[in-house]
Amino acid sequence: MTEKDIPQITTSGLLNAEGLSQDRKYSLWRDAVARLMANKLAVISLALVILLIIISLIGPYFTPYDFLSQDLSARSQPPSWAHWMGSDYLGRDVLSRVIYGARTATVTSFAVVAVSGFIGIILGSLSGFAGGRVDTFIMWITDMVMAVPPMLLAMVASVALRPMVAAWMERMYASTGDTFYRQTFWADIFLLVTVLTLVLWPTYARLIRGQIITNKTKNYVLAARALGITNSSILVRYIIPNSLGPVVVQLSAGLGSAMLWESAFSFLGIGVHPPIPSWGNMISEGMDYWRNSPHLLAAPAIVLGVMTVAFSFLGDGLNDALNPKQWSD
Amino acid sequence: MFRHILYKLLRWIPSVLVVILVVYALLFFGAGDPIRLMFLRMPGDVAWNPERIAAMRHELGLDRTFLAQFTEYIWNLLHGNLGNSLLYQRSVNDMVKVAAPVSIQLALAAMVIMAILGIPLGVVAAVYKNSWVDHLIEGTALAFWAIPTYVAGPLLVIFLVRGLKLMSVPYGWEGLFSPKAIIPLIVLSLRPIAIIIRQSRSAVLEVMGEDYIRTARAKGISNYLVMSRHILRPVLTPIVTSLGLVIANMIQGNILLEVVFGIPGLGRLVAVSTIDADYPVVLAVVLIGSFLVMGTNLAVDILYPILDPRVRQTQVGGES
Repeated sequence: MTEKDIPQITTSGLLNAEGLSQDRKYSLWRDAVARLMANKLAVISLALVILLIIISLIGPYFTPYDFLSQDLSARSQPPSWAHWMGSDYLGRDVLSRVIYGARTATVTSFAVVAVSGFIGIILGSLSGFAGGRVDTFIMWITDMVMAVPPMLLAMVASVALRPMVAAWMERMYASTGDTFYRQTFWADIFLLVTVLTLVLWPTYARLIRGQIITNKTKNYVLAARALGITNSSILVRYIIPNSLGPVVVQLSAGLGSAMLWESAFSFLGIGVHPPIPSWGNMISEGMDYWRNSPHLLAAPAIVLGVMTVAFSFLGDGLNDALNPKQWSD
Repeated sequence: MFRHILYKLLRWIPSVLVVILVVYALLFFGAGDPIRLMFLRMPGDVAWNPERIAAMRHELGLDRTFLAQFTEYIWNLLHGNLGNSLLYQRSVNDMVKVAAPVSIQLALAAMVIMAILGIPLGVVAAVYKNSWVDHLIEGTALAFWAIPTYVAGPLLVIFLVRGLKLMSVPYGWEGLFSPKAIIPLIVLSLRPIAIIIRQSRSAVLEVMGEDYIRTARAKGISNYLVMSRHILRPVLTPIVTSLGLVIANMIQGNILLEVVFGIPGLGRLVAVSTIDADYPVVLAVVLIGSFLVMGTNLAVDILYPILDPRVRQTQVGGES
């Protein structure tokens, strides 16, 4: 801890001088929300992200057309009142497909962040608390995963595991007769979540471990211990709340990057497969028609671009709001 | 320092062996039959002729056990032989020799662009801290950082080629200095430039608060000299790290770019061979990628104390 940090800690301490023990952990979040709301770009981005989530939840029920319905008499139409984003080479409405693509993106990114965050947090805290051999072993595994460029590893895993997932879905269909197992969409999503978790969990594990190890040695933990507070309640009341800020930032950034991974893999043809729309595979299909109908390419590309920028500004705003210690510059 | 290098190498070798084993096993057991994939591309009656498939498999040594094949692979690897491509029957060494220079040229050119544009912009942003200039530079950088290759590339093509008709379609590779390389280079530099801008901005801000800068100013040294002698030198350290990151990411960062623009580098090579389960090629590129990550980390470790004498002491003290 440097001298620069001290004024901020004392001011926030003074603000809630009475009722220290209960109010303090809420005030961190209340301050953070206030700081976030003061950042215009972050607020706009947050609105866009919420809009994306709402659209992907209810949008598919309100699309003007079905995302698969073809109208061969209206192929490759430029944007018009009937088709706001035009229609593609099979006469499918691009706007409806972009809306379904939003669902693909959101489902994948939330699932990836939930699973990889969960595994990372569990293994990271285990590593941080247990120390010793457990720590060495877990960190050795993260080292190994991180020794390979993540995209290469994910691509290899995705290609290698696809036949297994397909075979498993087929077996499940044979034994249960549930048509759920016939939907390639869920096989694709399941595979994506698996391979992305494989490459993304080490980031969370390392972050959590680092946070816990730093916070474990802080003076307030020593003070709490001197007061005779038990280990478990030190953990719950001091270490976890103080470690959470960077983790929240990382998780929100993870949502944006998982969305990118999904579209990148779908773009390469190893993620979500057509005819199910994903912004990635729509861009890839649109690239064949860019000269005569650029809207096929531009529509999903612009939407994806805007969303990634929004996630990035939101992550930046959250970082400023939750980690005020970085304000030194 | 020598011990440090040796230590890093010794740590890298076992991890990379495990990685190779895992990748090999994944592709061997999971990816489907490379022979079948080969035959699928041939005319109908050849494709499902079991005798020919068996003969072919025997000829390539693919009917042996996993262990036998893997040991032979490692043995060849130790002799600098990366094996043969299953699909094209070409030596992987040759394929890499053709593809690598393309990727390396692109990465080096992007690094030069990044350094020339990124460092000055970062310094300007720091000097005009919190003014609209700063916000504009930082905001634009963050936005560019977020936009993926397969969005920026096609949109730029639509805008520059179809809209403004400034150039022809940038598909393929005719050398670094041909007009076809312009759009790929712009796209490749966009993301890393943002990192360089942020790094140099925060580094300059940190240094500007130091006592020795105040001392230098108090002595009446001109602004230009303070900037060039006292501020820019320490700023180099974090920037070297970021440039290292770009090299470490060379293959990964190029995969999508090379697929979008049809550039025959390592990225496209690995993308195509992964989808075809051509595992000798995939393994070779994974190996190179992993070596690049380790090598640049090492290079940064070596360069750091040379650029910043303050690190020398902490490293000696901290390495026990």
